[in-house]
Amino acid sequence: MTQLAPHIFNGLTLGLLFALIALGFMLIVGVMEVINLAHGSLFALGAYFALTLIGMDPIADTGFGQWWLGLPLAPRYIAALMFAPVLAGGIGMLLELCLRRTYGKAPLYGLLLTFGAGIVIEEIIRLGWGTGEQYLQVPQAINGATFFLGSIYSKYKFFAAGFSVFAILGVWAFLEKTPYGAIIKAGAHDSEMVRALGYDLSKLRLLVFGFGAALAGLAGIVMVPIWGLRPHVGIDVVIPAFLIIALGGVGSFWGAVFASILVGLTVGVTGAYASAWSMMSMYVLLILVLGFRARGLFGRASALEN
Amino acid sequence: MMTLSNISPRSQQLITPQIILLAALLLSAPLWLTAIGLYHYIGLEIVIWLIYAMGFNLLFGYTGLHSFGHGAYLGVGAYAFGLFQQEIAVSLWGGLIAAVAIAGLAGIIVGLFLSHRRGLYFALLSIAFGQIFWFSAIKMRWLTGGEDGLLNIPRPELNLIFTKVDLNDNVAFYYFAAVILLVLVILLWRLVHSPFGRILQAVRQNEMRASFAGYEVWRFKLAAFTISAMFAGMAGGLLAMAQQSAYPDVMAVHQSGLVVMMVLIGGGLISFWGPVLGVILYFVARDVLGGITETWLLWYGLMFVVMVMFRPEGIAGVLQQLKPKSAKDASIRRQVA
Repeated sequence: MTQLAPHIFNGLTLGLLFALIALGFMLIVGVMEVINLAHGSLFALGAYFALTLIGMDPIADTGFGQWWLGLPLAPRYIAALMFAPVLAGGIGMLLELCLRRTYGKAPLYGLLLTFGAGIVIEEIIRLGWGTGEQYLQVPQAINGATFFLGSIYSKYKFFAAGFSVFAILGVWAFLEKTPYGAIIKAGAHDSEMVRALGYDLSKLRLLVFGFGAALAGLAGIVMVPIWGLRPHVGIDVVIPAFLIIALGGVGSFWGAVFASILVGLTVGVTGAYASAWSMMSMYVLLILVLGFRARGLFGRASALEN
Repeated sequence: MMTLSNISPRSQQLITPQIILLAALLLSAPLWLTAIGLYHYIGLEIVIWLIYAMGFNLLFGYTGLHSFGHGAYLGVGAYAFGLFQQEIAVSLWGGLIAAVAIAGLAGIIVGLFLSHRRGLYFALLSIAFGQIFWFSAIKMRWLTGGEDGLLNIPRPELNLIFTKVDLNDNVAFYYFAAVILLVLVILLWRLVHSPFGRILQAVRQNEMRASFAGYEVWRFKLAAFTISAMFAGMAGGLLAMAQQSAYPDVMAVHQSGLVVMMVLIGGGLISFWGPVLGVILYFVARDVLGGITETWLLWYGLMFVVMVMFRPEGIAGVLQQLKPKSAKDASIRRQVA
């Protein structure tokens, strides 16, 4: 058991990070019943925006660039953490404007459109930032290693896991405790009624998609110091997000969080026994669960089943 | 509204003008491919992917099951062909039969899990299974050679009764693959216009109604899945021969998405011939655009996005709209009659 403890701890951290990745994806699926396959590309895009905001490469020689680079890393990092997701959210809104034409058709079209959009964004990243592996700097305070219960852990993982908990609670509070959340949830439940009550549903959808894309970008900034930053990092991300939603069940917030932690623990514990196969264990988990419960653990009926 | 279920003229015939046109194009291609600035190997690639894509459209377009993990069976076929040559015997037909059989077996096993699912959950599970195959191909180094792939797969010679044909020549191999494609196209044409094919389309249109009509829907979904996996296996066997090696990358989810893109752009949702247009466009675009710009995938992706937004019926849909009105009316009258 004592040997297993660090693996369980790692699995738990990984689960929280998966939850952060799945958060924006979940929001868009839950409210709009669109599977956003561009989620991974928006994730990567957020991280690349942060890279540019921290380094200011295009304008490094101007007066502003020099002043900016003269600042310590911490404020630049915090600025990136705040503004890069907003930029990713803007791209998400553009995507939503294209996506409008597929509403009311089979869910397949939304899936295909976002798949194509994901490829386009990935190629734009290759054009803009090059194809090589890049590193996102993080401030000294959250870098390095720390001792905990006699084992060494990376400090950054603690930061990332804590940040995930913070983001999950924030999104939950937004959905459950504010009037905006109530409108969004009502939009998912009965869009016609929401329209009849005088809310502008198309604006609502635009904002939800933008918010979901911003969350994807935020997850990207937090995750890439652990996973590395490559243009095709998105595909490694969208699949677990996808899987977690299916496992937790479409439309269930805590179902998805629970599924993330379950997936994280499965990957972590499998890693203890057969490290080469650890990432595959989550697919086996999905097949086992969906073999018995078609809608996932906590899912409700959804148009996406047809 | 155009759909695949509009009864196409001559659906009872074994050979239609379109099939003759395809045959003429395929069999004459080596004569003019180089003249228009292309090369013989691209013809080979197109033929192989056509087998894959037309089989895939039986599942995607006709049955309405949106598999995003179909590359797995292409890969399984390629590995089966290669391993048969290396471990059992150097044999053309043995290898191809092994490729089709093993891919079909994989299709049945996965299909048993998938045949009670539809919509999103079908797509999700097909991705999960595809990832498992891809992952296994990378990790099982002792069997597949891991990421380096399975190398040195021979191209066995074709043994006709009176003569032997050396398939190491790309043109000879092209003709061999093209003949296989034509046979499979005729088979597929008969299949989709048979009562079995009609039931598959009924499953797409309304699964519940089909089951109320007394059909055990899951059996038909399983059959469609298995048949399209076998087509992918045949394509995989030929691919292993063409490349003389087999790699796990065709099994990755991105590559599985590519065949979906090709089929959709061509118009597989509304036409039997959609995959043909889509596959040809993809490979020609790859070579022509790829020769001009390194970011050809960006333009291809943009074209795809625009297509999904404005013309989800694909190129075949555009062509059908261009048809003169009178011909269209005539075909509608035929359907009514």
